[in-house]
Amino acid sequence: MARVRRPGARWWVGAVGLTGLCLASGLPPAYSQQSVSVRATLVKGALPADDPAAAAWATAAVSEFPMSPQVHWPVRITDVTAKSVKVRGLHDGTTVAILLEYADPSEDPDDAAALEFMVGDSKAHFAHGQPMAQVQGGPVNIWYWKNKDGKGVDMGAKGFGTLKPHTHQTVNAKGVYQGGAWKVVFSRPFKTDHGEEDTQFKPGEFASIAFAIWDGKKMDTGQPKEKGSEKAISSWWYFRADAPPDYSPYMYAALAVALALGFELVLVRRLKKGS
Amino acid sequence: MKGVLVRPIFLTVFIYLFLKFIVPNLPHSAPLPSSLIFLYLMLTTAGIVIFATLSGASKDAFFGPMLRFLTGESGGAFGGARYLVLALFPLLVGWQTYGSTASSDAPPAENRTIHPAPPGEYTGLSNPVPKTPDNIMYGKGLYASRCSPCHGNFDGKGFAAPGFTPPPANFKDPTTIAMLQESFLFWRIKKGGVGLPVEGMPWKSAMPRWELELSDEDIWKVIMGEYDGAGQKPRTWDESE
Repeated sequence: MARVRRPGARWWVGAVGLTGLCLASGLPPAYSQQSVSVRATLVKGALPADDPAAAAWATAAVSEFPMSPQVHWPVRITDVTAKSVKVRGLHDGTTVAILLEYADPSEDPDDAAALEFMVGDSKAHFAHGQPMAQVQGGPVNIWYWKNKDGKGVDMGAKGFGTLKPHTHQTVNAKGVYQGGAWKVVFSRPFKTDHGEEDTQFKPGEFASIAFAIWDGKKMDTGQPKEKGSEKAISSWWYFRADAPPDYSPYMYAALAVALALGFELVLVRRLKKGS
Repeated sequence: MKGVLVRPIFLTVFIYLFLKFIVPNLPHSAPLPSSLIFLYLMLTTAGIVIFATLSGASKDAFFGPMLRFLTGESGGAFGGARYLVLALFPLLVGWQTYGSTASSDAPPAENRTIHPAPPGEYTGLSNPVPKTPDNIMYGKGLYASRCSPCHGNFDGKGFAAPGFTPPPANFKDPTTIAMLQESFLFWRIKKGGVGLPVEGMPWKSAMPRWELELSDEDIWKVIMGEYDGAGQKPRTWDESE
């Protein structure tokens, strides 16, 4: 009589394989994804708030965001010089510094860059906080730097045409042009005394951030290639300054392991007694 | 242990695979959220336990192998597996605890409604412009000059598009203008990104407010040009009845 092989004797091999395949299908892809946030890490030494070329920036995580021409407002442009911007962040617990790095074929006096933030809890449209038709949006806080001015300007807006510098100025900025690229660092204390106009940072919490870049190259008309609302812009992304190290999750995990182990020991002991 | 537990394990794995990989591929279906799959697997497990405990004999047959495994009475190859399970269980609990208490690096979730309801005055409007070849051509011309830098060749891949998130709509995609009425497009084009209601947050739409630059008639012509260029037809009340 022929020997009959029992089907499914090695069922667990198939089950483990299938489970593995299912788990693998849920894993993130190996290729890197587009950045969605800027992370400012806690710097150990001095914060390079006025040095865009400082070695400390090499220790900061880099994020890269694509840029598009500003098209929302009618005074628009359809092609821009900056196609993307690399962003790094550092902080020392009281002051935050954000470094923008982007390609620009020429150094021009009207070259400029800016950061944009929401203010307070009110959401705002990324295009200068343009008023929304159906809901009340909030203002935006803009940190602006222009090469020929050589300083940072703290500004506010609630829609195109409403941009104006704040009466108080707490933003510093410095740019360095090296090898066909700008490096511009902005810095400001986490908190200011003007919460209704300035964005306030809290370590560990996400804030919305957007970027703008102007190529100030002078054209035949005598005007800069990009100026005003004719600029490269990004959508809203996220920014977060790292909170101080928190070891409590490790403590909770260790406690949970001890409790689970104790539960197991009691259970097995009882079962043995019962049997 | 083999005979009694093989079927429940196979059944659970089969249901998981069915929900995860087969259901999304059924007609008019979509991938199930993991929380729903988890709920179904919990129901399956509860059903198996209820079935296995219908009588005293079946209960002993079901739980007996598990108890013998835990107490080490199974012996043989199960001895090593027992220590593995007893070691892994506390580690799994610790890992879950860490995951639920450690702060996440993920930004806040954005539950944006892609096609929010338009205001009442824009509901059910019909295109007042005659659908003539000249009007369609005129609308395509306006599309080429005003819309194509971002929306491209009706595919959402214009040269100005890469920095925008969400990306400009792809009109050839059957989930965009093909499932919308012309009145919805009229509202979105006329009022742009700043016309979005609160459920359209976080307000990243760069769509211009074209009422500042185009007449209503021109907007209706652009809509005709869009549908014709993308090879789509607007959704109408007649078709849904």
